[in-house]
Amino acid sequence: MVFIGVQIAWIVLMAVWINWYLENNLSIQKFAQKLRPDLFTAEVEWLILFEGCFLMLLILSGVYVIFVYWNKQNRLNQMQSNFVSSVSHELKSPLASIQLYLETLKYQDVSKEETKDFIEIMLSDTARLSGLIENILQSSKTDPKSMELQTQKVDLGQFLSEVVKDHKRQFEEKKCEVKLQLEASPIVTVDKKALQIVFNNLIGNALRYSPSGSSLKIHLHRMGRFWDVDFADKGFGFDKKDLNRVFKKFYRVQNEDTQNIEGAGLGLFISREIVKNHKGRLRVMSSGRGQGSVFTVSLPVSRGLTV
Amino acid sequence: MSDSKKILVVEDESHLAKGLQFNLEREGYTVSVVDNGQSAIELLGEQAFDLMILDIMLPKLNGIEVARRVRNTDLRFPILMLSAKSSDEDRELGLEAGADDYLTKPFHLPELLLRVKGILRRWEWYKEPVHDQEVFHFGDMWINFVNGRAKGESGEFYLTTKEALLMRLLVSKKNKIVSRDELLEKVWGYDPQTETRTVDNFVARLRKYFEKKPQSPRYIITHREKGYEFKP
Repeated sequence: MVFIGVQIAWIVLMAVWINWYLENNLSIQKFAQKLRPDLFTAEVEWLILFEGCFLMLLILSGVYVIFVYWNKQNRLNQMQSNFVSSVSHELKSPLASIQLYLETLKYQDVSKEETKDFIEIMLSDTARLSGLIENILQSSKTDPKSMELQTQKVDLGQFLSEVVKDHKRQFEEKKCEVKLQLEASPIVTVDKKALQIVFNNLIGNALRYSPSGSSLKIHLHRMGRFWDVDFADKGFGFDKKDLNRVFKKFYRVQNEDTQNIEGAGLGLFISREIVKNHKGRLRVMSSGRGQGSVFTVSLPVSRGLTV
Repeated sequence: MSDSKKILVVEDESHLAKGLQFNLEREGYTVSVVDNGQSAIELLGEQAFDLMILDIMLPKLNGIEVARRVRNTDLRFPILMLSAKSSDEDRELGLEAGADDYLTKPFHLPELLLRVKGILRRWEWYKEPVHDQEVFHFGDMWINFVNGRAKGESGEFYLTTKEALLMRLLVSKKNKIVSRDELLEKVWGYDPQTETRTVDNFVARLRKYFEKKPQSPRYIITHREKGYEFKP
């Protein structure tokens, strides 16, 4: 608004100046002729008028550039402070949990089974921490040149089963019923570690953005030249306007269902970049708020390696 | 030993909630856990608790809102806020909403247990019968120390637990100067994070409720370098 106001003010000022110049041209000339008669003719000095306009335009574009960059800088500052605050939140929760269990082991009498259970909890918290750190590191090298994929042949069906198994505890804690449907078990050429980040992020999001006792269906099937993996949850879903924005760096959906859910706004951005670098696609569909969502990872079929 | 004290833990991080429950139960408390603000409000309507440990970032209804809603009812019990938000403003916001104490994550287990014990001990002291009548009158205002309801300059309202504790201590020593240190010790317990300006903030709030002109108070008088005095 301020920016538009300043632009209008400049244009008005310029119009006033042109008007003033044309109206007072004669009297200025008369006055000037008294001082330096050799410099002036009786006609309108078009060159000076043009120069004035040109200078005005130059100042106008200068102000425009300053405003554009000033706005950009403000947005970046805001994004940075949001990022720092949400990342520190996300780091603190698993850290607080690990500290609590370590101190419990130190100060309380704990049975063998309880100790085993606590260690499992701490391991799952460390996995969460390392996932977040992985996301932060990955986000700084998302362009294809710096993201070097270390590809290998992977059985996608088996890989998905393993990833789901790794999340068994989280599914149980969230009372989430998970259904894995594999229509095939294709061999694809992918960077296993990078793809694991994608699957971890999608499963983590499905758990985080769904109420307790919800369900998640993971479906692997062929769609033309791609192997599609659908992650269909029955969680909070999206408004239409958020469908594409969720993949933007640092973007977080802000509504009453999600406002208190921690997150850095990096997971989906990184996941889409990773899938893109595999020449694949990551899309999302949602019928609206409260209707759940389906994230689909499409990976190209490797020639001669199917099933 | 406070073995029968009932504590409600409102925490959406299941691992933390489970760890808190384990430790508090080991200390002899009876613990209930809920994972969102809405369920906390519902459970508080059904059962009485002696203390609530409340996270701020909660789904459905955040901790600040839960504390505010609780303070607008006649439910009287202390709230310990537990949050990853560690700035002074967040702390102030939590206390303003009605929390009695504020602990940031990650925290030390012994410190948490000490604070829980301290809050419950102070609450016990507060609930002990007073020699004064339960409803204390001054001017055309009054405070009911049993349910925390009060009538101030702008009508009836509920005092937070800390405000009620502070007011009760000042009233019980009326016409005498109570030092900031004594107020800190009795109302906040030993807490290295609490500074004397916390006392000043709370006194300022009490003046807003009970003084016509909070800038030139008639009831709660400041004695420079000494403390505060209540003059009925």
